[in-house]
Amino acid sequence: MHLDPFELHRPTSVEEAVRLARELAGRCDYLAGGTDLLPNYKMHLNLRPHLIALGDVRELRGHSLDRVGAAEPLADLEADPEFRAAYPGVADALGEVATPLVRASGTLGGNLLVETRCFFFNQSYFWRSSLGFCLKADGDKCHVVPQKERCYATFSGDLAPAFLTLDAEVEVAGPSGRRRRPLSELYDAAGDGIRRLSLAPGELVVALHLPRAARGQRGRYKKLRVRPSFDFPELGVAVAGRWDERSVDRLSLAVGGVETYPRRFDELTSPLLGAPLTTDRVDELAEAVLRKVRPVHNTFLLPDYRRRMVAVYVRRALAEAREGGAAG
Amino acid sequence: MASPDRVSFRLNGQPVEPSCPPERILLDLLREELRLTGTKRGCDLGTCGCCTVLVDGRPTLSCLTLARLVDGRSVDTIEGLSPAQGLSPVQRSFVEHGATQCGFCTPGFVVTATALLRRNPHPSRAEIEGAIAGNLCRCTGYRKIVEAIEAAAGGR
Repeated sequence: MHLDPFELHRPTSVEEAVRLARELAGRCDYLAGGTDLLPNYKMHLNLRPHLIALGDVRELRGHSLDRVGAAEPLADLEADPEFRAAYPGVADALGEVATPLVRASGTLGGNLLVETRCFFFNQSYFWRSSLGFCLKADGDKCHVVPQKERCYATFSGDLAPAFLTLDAEVEVAGPSGRRRRPLSELYDAAGDGIRRLSLAPGELVVALHLPRAARGQRGRYKKLRVRPSFDFPELGVAVAGRWDERSVDRLSLAVGGVETYPRRFDELTSPLLGAPLTTDRVDELAEAVLRKVRPVHNTFLLPDYRRRMVAVYVRRALAEAREGGAAG
Repeated sequence: MASPDRVSFRLNGQPVEPSCPPERILLDLLREELRLTGTKRGCDLGTCGCCTVLVDGRPTLSCLTLARLVDGRSVDTIEGLSPAQGLSPVQRSFVEHGATQCGFCTPGFVVTATALLRRNPHPSRAEIEGAIAGNLCRCTGYRKIVEAIEAAAGGR
């Protein structure tokens, strides 16, 4: 498959990248690892005439326990035993993203911002033209929920749920400067699904910041998929927290792969604080999360199965996090 | 830095500077412009690993790499991993263990395995299986591939 022609820009600083994106408003994409964008370009999905390659922007690279550059390859995080030990749930998620070859190029920012996925979207131009294009690319209707004018494509990143449980913040650069905000606010839950991020045009995710308290918690990420390699999540459940036999001091749970946005369920986990994490309480939590999520029929596995598996994976994630103990 | 319509890099140790429009994918440049057809086009979407090459020693999916972005870097293909005469230790081990059937995926496996053994000369079986999780083979069932890499690591 050949790509349609585009102009390639290679800025060397964040400010230059953002300035270019502002000048090319609406006619450009940022390119980091390319493992998500280029397959979509090969399928003629939402092509832009300009690509701004970020590989020469040094500030976007590198990581420590406090900060991960947005263009840091996932394989470089995975290869750092100190990082893995500090954030066991993130370590799980890193090992579950696509394949080692994709992780060698694929970046943190790319996984946080990965394009949402759907049967009717991730298809060739010919396939889509045969059925009629959809809301998300070239068309004006949804084939999954035809009576609605919003897009139900599924958020398919593995790292966002894991980082959400750790209160991570994103640093975003834009025409009006830089700002930091909670990772959860990167996703625009009030959007129509096509607009699914809260980024303004041209804004660039520079880095992810982790608070000191994020380290050394129990953590686990469990991913449901058909093949244990490459496949995007049909469901991803992340948990993190601090607890022992007597009491839960902190507990956070986030789910991806079932809706348009990764979601954290503080309203369900906060009632568990201060009491022991008994099997009954875990079961109640698992069933409560199951009742909250609304997958639709747009991925390989049926939505009812994915929904029921939410409860199974919540139980497994918590059980395994308990077995694994606290790190660091 | 190459002239604007070219890309300049080291290919299997030799400097090259082919013409290259921005949208040219590295896999296409290697196969169609530079005539190195050992690197295979499988899925063309990053799923199968057939197109794996080394960029600055790192296994890279050439089907998802813009050729312009290897400017100034070093690219090694399956052709470059073979010595002038005969086979590399990994290639020889694949032959001796019958780790290839139709052979289409083999260059990708050899490149991935070579990178693994350079990074980790004595991988465990689990590490081998993990490292090749991005390479698909529809013939062998993987067992002989894993055995071949294990044997190459052991110098047998």
